Amino acid sequence: MRIDVSGLTKIYKGGVRALDDLTLEIPTGMYGLLGSNGAGKTTFMRTLAGLLKPTSGRVVIGGHDLATADGRLAVQRTLGYLPQDLGVYPDLTARRFLDYIALLKGLHERSARRRRISELLEVVALSEAADRKLKGFSGGMLRRVGIAQALLADPRLLVVDEPTTGLDPEERIRFRMLLSTLAGDRTVLLSTHIVDDVAQTCRSLALLAKGRLAFGGTVSELLARADGRVWTVTTPGAAPPAGRVVSVLPEGVGMRYRVVAATPPAPDALPAEPTLEDGYLALMDDTTR
Amino acid sequence: MIATFRYAFGMQVRRRSLWIVYGLVFAVIAARMPFWTLDMGYGEGQESWQGMATAAGLLTSLLPLVHGCMLADRPVRDRVLRVAPILDATPTSRTARQMGAYAGACAATAVPFAVVYFGRALLFVVMEGQPSAIGWAVLNFLGSIVPGLVFLGALAFAGPLLVPPMVFRVLFVAYWFWGNLIPKTMMPTISDTIFDATGDYVRYGLLAPPTVDYGPGPPAMFDFLRPAYSPGTAVLWIGVMIALSAVMLFLLCLHASRSES
Repeated sequence: MRIDVSGLTKIYKGGVRALDDLTLEIPTGMYGLLGSNGAGKTTFMRTLAGLLKPTSGRVVIGGHDLATADGRLAVQRTLGYLPQDLGVYPDLTARRFLDYIALLKGLHERSARRRRISELLEVVALSEAADRKLKGFSGGMLRRVGIAQALLADPRLLVVDEPTTGLDPEERIRFRMLLSTLAGDRTVLLSTHIVDDVAQTCRSLALLAKGRLAFGGTVSELLARADGRVWTVTTPGAAPPAGRVVSVLPEGVGMRYRVVAATPPAPDALPAEPTLEDGYLALMDDTTR
Repeated sequence: MIATFRYAFGMQVRRRSLWIVYGLVFAVIAARMPFWTLDMGYGEGQESWQGMATAAGLLTSLLPLVHGCMLADRPVRDRVLRVAPILDATPTSRTARQMGAYAGACAATAVPFAVVYFGRALLFVVMEGQPSAIGWAVLNFLGSIVPGLVFLGALAFAGPLLVPPMVFRVLFVAYWFWGNLIPKTMMPTISDTIFDATGDYVRYGLLAPPTVDYGPGPPAMFDFLRPAYSPGTAVLWIGVMIALSAVMLFLLCLHASRSES
């Protein structure tokens, strides 16, 4: 399911411009959306989910225009949405909560609905906790309930906003694998500020900065942005003054700094292989310059 | 809408605090009012039609307070629990969900009221040997209690759009005493008017007319809103309650359809 966004602008009451003339094409498959906090990712995801009305611009999803009520309804019929700040009814069990959402998504046939819920509880490894009240669930378990509810109606478009925030490393890896498996012929839009999540799952991505598109392309294109701009410097003194320090590791009596800089940040700096995080920082530096 | 009704009903009726608060307020009624004798001092309460009207009158003095207060947090609950974005991303319209939540929560909140009232009717049948009390109880409940609760439920759903639920509860208690319980001669009030939600118009105008005519009473402000009890004014009162509810629910739907998640 292809998504075409053109000139999308969202200005909140009070004048905050969360999205600013955003134009973007999102193909079928797994697609990453990166950006710092406040870049407009959540506003963009909520707009795609039909929760926010754009101030101006156009969003067409699978041929349906979100500006019309019919278009919004058609998209919501094929949408699975996992919000950043997931809430549940604490006094319902996982099974009952999913049952309620399934009914709202139009799964009215009882046996089919129950079968689907059991399948998804199995997929997210919550079968054993299915009849426990949600108030006793950990953050990771709630995230899994969240992804299960998003998948209830077998959506063609899956919009997941910061899904791995607060998860332990094991849960994060499991979650990423689940999303990758689901992608297939679906469009899975993954918004995150954890660069590694995108590096591990997406071929294409967009990078937002201050509500604008700072980059749109493949992961390798973003990596290429940092080619020849990543260095390691080992020194007993302070960090090199030039460039942006990505990481610091103690080494012997000194420290080893990983730096993104256009030119070698120190005379003894050694070039290093760029990661997506380096590409992201290089691009952000270019954008803010 | 039906799904939301079912789930809103289930979540509200299983709420422990609902039963506790109803229980405490009922304890006050049982301790301070003639709920067990149904004798208001005029020798009535022996016939089932009178007894059930008296029981309804006693319960509607305070239990509607619980009804309004326990409903006040329901309209904002999805937002407070942060469930609203998930629900809003489904193809079910927000208006339909609001109506389902209103009907479900309102019906569930009336359950303890019904349990107490029909419990008293059953006790009446056992004690007085008049099975007709059940029929009168049904008529009283549907005619004189439910319209008021429908109106108060709509008020409790619309009010928290303007003020936070806790503030609404304080205002609601003040409204209940000012607008329904205090004597009309004490201060300007809508007590005993066609806007009074206690259901007296149906009880005294239709189901259990007073056996003695005490006259119109001393004059008070807003007397033009106090037509005499009669079957006609009983029907008018039901219409007023439903119309006011419809207006508030319309505003609620309008707000739901225009606001963003």
